[in-house]
Amino acid sequence: MHISFTEMYDGRPTFTGVVYKKTIGNYTVHHDGLAVLCELSNRIRKQLIYPTADPGSLRQRVQKVVELEHMDPLAVGDEVRYIQAEDGKGLIVELLPRRNKLTRRSAVPKPLHHGAHPFEQIIVTNVDQVVPVIAAAQPDPKWNLLDRYLASAEAGGIGSLICITKLDLVKKNEQALTAALDEYQRIGYSYVLTSSFSGEGIEVLRETLARRTSVLVGKSGVGKTALLNALQPGLGLRVKEVNQATGKGRHTTTNLEMFPFKGGGAIVDTPGTREFGLLEFDDDPALLFPEMRSLVGKCRFGMDCSHNEEPGCTIRKAVMEGQINPRRYQSYLVLNKELLDVSRNL
Amino acid sequence: MYPEIYKLSKYHHPERWGKRSSEDVFKCHYCQAHVCTHPILSGVNNRNHCPYCLRSRHIDLLQAGDRMSACKAIMEPIGLTVKQRQKKYGNGRTGELMLIHRCSECGKLSINRVAADDLTERLMDIFYTSFGLDVFTQQQLKASGIQLLLGADHKLVTTQLHGMIQH
Repeated sequence: MHISFTEMYDGRPTFTGVVYKKTIGNYTVHHDGLAVLCELSNRIRKQLIYPTADPGSLRQRVQKVVELEHMDPLAVGDEVRYIQAEDGKGLIVELLPRRNKLTRRSAVPKPLHHGAHPFEQIIVTNVDQVVPVIAAAQPDPKWNLLDRYLASAEAGGIGSLICITKLDLVKKNEQALTAALDEYQRIGYSYVLTSSFSGEGIEVLRETLARRTSVLVGKSGVGKTALLNALQPGLGLRVKEVNQATGKGRHTTTNLEMFPFKGGGAIVDTPGTREFGLLEFDDDPALLFPEMRSLVGKCRFGMDCSHNEEPGCTIRKAVMEGQINPRRYQSYLVLNKELLDVSRNL
Repeated sequence: MYPEIYKLSKYHHPERWGKRSSEDVFKCHYCQAHVCTHPILSGVNNRNHCPYCLRSRHIDLLQAGDRMSACKAIMEPIGLTVKQRQKKYGNGRTGELMLIHRCSECGKLSINRVAADDLTERLMDIFYTSFGLDVFTQQQLKASGIQLLLGADHKLVTTQLHGMIQH
């Protein structure tokens, strides 16, 4: 076991590990292949949870309560430093700097009322690639949602790999599917076609995921956990069929968990997400779309262009000339509007 | 209160409850007039042009209502046509009156139903000015399968706009 003697905590040696699973108050930390159940030191909890709101804010009190209610200082994938307690458990004493993070805007009732406001939900940290999982059918692919997964990954500086599941359901009619996916390939995203039922594409996906830390994200019922079961036989994770009446998934996976991958690396399984948005992005959101990135700043109004109705917009011109997919452009417009609404607290 | 034809229940559906009333009103980008889109006034479910200047915007790309066009330029009214009916024994030219729009930037052509509150005088002006359309536009209309109403269709247009003339 690696002991970092240079880092001592209250005279005791500390160990470095990665959070693989978290439940309320407990964190499973992996260190050299061993899983240690840890709790969070009150010192770190207090240090992280203290309100950071602007002291001049008129609503400081409400903001503090909301943050205390929702804030979890650790996320799956975090590297932490912990000490061994007497009962075999560990005590996390320090959160190490994060390499990257995949976040989303929390779901809030609309219209906003009684001070409710969205906050940043950290899904996972320190990952090498995001794998948006889209079902070929049941439920039907939501390309706009895929655009949001890809944009969130870009915002976190993480690469993406599109994974299509349930290919066996559209085996005879997959031209429309591959046409849409070729569009993504053209702008630089690679994709894998798989079927957990027939096993098609599983080996290709296994090689792509090996030696890397990946996170599976997608709608409920698209087959994220079934894919994990197929990739790693023996996990025996619980899966359910989609509701035949509504065609929607059933929210079977309810917690985030990272699984060590046999070929090296790890995979994070996540609960299904019906909506996925960004909380904030300081730059032009067009930078999150690789095909628009090179055109940002070249409009008549420079960086002030919102690429919506301004004359002389290069991005709009590129859409009209067929260089940018109109559906991707619409995804950008909706995302941009949402970011504006959130910033205005609408 | 309202005639049953308007099916108010459809517009008062729970899916529309969250929508702001401002979504039922738009401001014409050309003449700046505020236009109410409620079907009670216009008689159409999808109002796409200003009833005063009859101009529209190029916001649909592949099909009506998809809102996927990035052009967003003003669409000028260039003439009138009638809706083609697919009745086996019916007269193909008895459909309702439609406006022909052409995008001022990219030149895309589209047609839309004339609404009940469209200014009749403006419609007649467009009908008369469409007689002088250039050959290129006429060929473009023909290629698109849009039948432009010309002088011989004067009676059809006036009948559609003002009703049957009683003798």
